[in-house]
Amino acid sequence: MLARNETIIKWGLYAAVSLLGALAQGILGQSIALLGVIPFLFPLFAAIPATYEASAPGTAFALAVGVFCDLLLPAPLPCFYTLVFPLVGLFSALLSESILPAGYLCSAVASAFGFFLTGLFHIFLLWMDGKAPASAAFRTMVLEFLITLPAVFPMTAMYRWIYRKTHLDN
Amino acid sequence: MKNFLKNHGIWVLFAGAVIAAALALMSFFNASPLVNITGVLTSPFRSGYTAVATWFNDKQAYYKDIKALEAENAALKKTIAEMEETVRQAQADRDENELLRQLLGLRAQRRDLSDLEAATITERSVTNWVSSFTLNKGTTHGVEVGNSVIDATGALVGVISEAGYNWSTVLTTVDTDTSLGARVFRTKELGIAQGDFSLMGEDLLRLDYLPSDADLLAGDLVETSGLGGFYPSGLVIGYVKEVRMDDSGASSYAIVTPAADLDALTEVFVVKSFEIVT
Repeated sequence: MLARNETIIKWGLYAAVSLLGALAQGILGQSIALLGVIPFLFPLFAAIPATYEASAPGTAFALAVGVFCDLLLPAPLPCFYTLVFPLVGLFSALLSESILPAGYLCSAVASAFGFFLTGLFHIFLLWMDGKAPASAAFRTMVLEFLITLPAVFPMTAMYRWIYRKTHLDN
Repeated sequence: MKNFLKNHGIWVLFAGAVIAAALALMSFFNASPLVNITGVLTSPFRSGYTAVATWFNDKQAYYKDIKALEAENAALKKTIAEMEETVRQAQADRDENELLRQLLGLRAQRRDLSDLEAATITERSVTNWVSSFTLNKGTTHGVEVGNSVIDATGALVGVISEAGYNWSTVLTTVDTDTSLGARVFRTKELGIAQGDFSLMGEDLLRLDYLPSDADLLAGDLVETSGLGGFYPSGLVIGYVKEVRMDDSGASSYAIVTPAADLDALTEVFVVKSFEIVT
C-alpha cells in the first residue's frame, strides 16, 4: 500500500510521461508516415499504464486520457475518446491481472486492442453516417497500429520504470 | 725600469708614434680594427638581444592586435546580429506584404467576400481519421463555426468546425464530415461535394447526387453553388478527376481533386462574412 504522496507522485509521473508522448506526437507525428498513415500514440497512454495497475485506477487514468484527447483532438463525436479509452484501460488492466503479466508483450497486446477498439468505433460512426468503406478503414486501423508499434517499447519502459520506482516493496 | 726608459725611452716613444701613425692611417682608409674586433665580438650578443627585443615587441603588438581584433570582432558580431535581425524583419515584412497583396487581389476579384481574415496553419491533422487544420485565429478575431476557409487563389480549403478564443479548427474539403453544395462550372449541374474515407488518404473527394444524365469530363471545374446561403458561391472546390458509376448503376459520381494544395498550405483566409450573389 503506497502512501498518499507516493500515489500522487506515481500518477503525476504517469501523466508527465503521457504529456511527453503527446508532445512527441505533435512534433514527430507529421514527419513519419507509413503509406500515408501517421503514428497515433494516444491509445498507448490509455493502455500501457493500465497494465501495471488494478482495473479501477487503470480505467480512471484511461478515462482522464480520453477526456484530454477529446479536448485536444478533432473527432467525429465530442466525447469519442472519453467513451473508448476507459474500455481500453479496463481491458488492459484485466489482461495483465489474468492472462499476461505486465510487460512489453502485454503492452503490445493491450495497445493492439486499443487501436482495434478505437478503429472499430470510428468505423461504426462512419457506418452510422452512411460512409463505411470498411476495407479502407481496416487498412488505416492496421497501418496505424503497425507504425505506432515501435513506440510501445519505449513507452512501456518509461511507465514500468515509474511503477518500479514507486513500488519498491514489490 | 728607470734604466730601461733612460736607455731605450726614445725608442719606445718612437715605436709608439709609429703605431699611432699607422693606426691613424688605417682608420682613415678602413674601419678601425679595434672597433671592428669589438663589433665582431658583440655581434652575436646584439643579434641575440635584438631578437629578444623583436620577439617581445612582436608579442606586444600581437597582444595589442588581438585586443583590437577582439573588440572589432565583437563590434562586427553585433553589427551582423543587427543586420540579421533586419533581414529577418524584412523577410517577415515581405511575407506579410505578399500575403496582403494576395488578399488585396482576392478582395478585388471577389467583392462578395466582404470580410476576410488572414490566418496561419499552426497544426495539421493529428489523427488518421479526420482531415483538419488548426488555425491561429479564433473568436477574438471574429472567426465562427461554419465560416469558409480559402487559400490565396480563392480555392476552398474547408470549413471552420470549432472556434476557440485564439484558435480554430478547419475540416478540409476531403474530410468525411464535410458536405457542400456544389456546381459544375461548365454544365451548371448541381451536386453535393463530400469527403469519403476511402479517398481522404489520397486527398480526394466525391461529387455525389449528380443528375442521371450528367455529362462530366475530366478536368471540369467544380465550385460551390452557394445554394442555401451557408457558403459563398463560386469558390473553387476542385477539378473532376474521373467519373464513376455507383454500385446500383443508376447514377454516377465524380472523383474530385481539390484545387487547394492541402499538403503545402501554410497561410489561409477565413471568410467571416459574404454577400449572397444571386
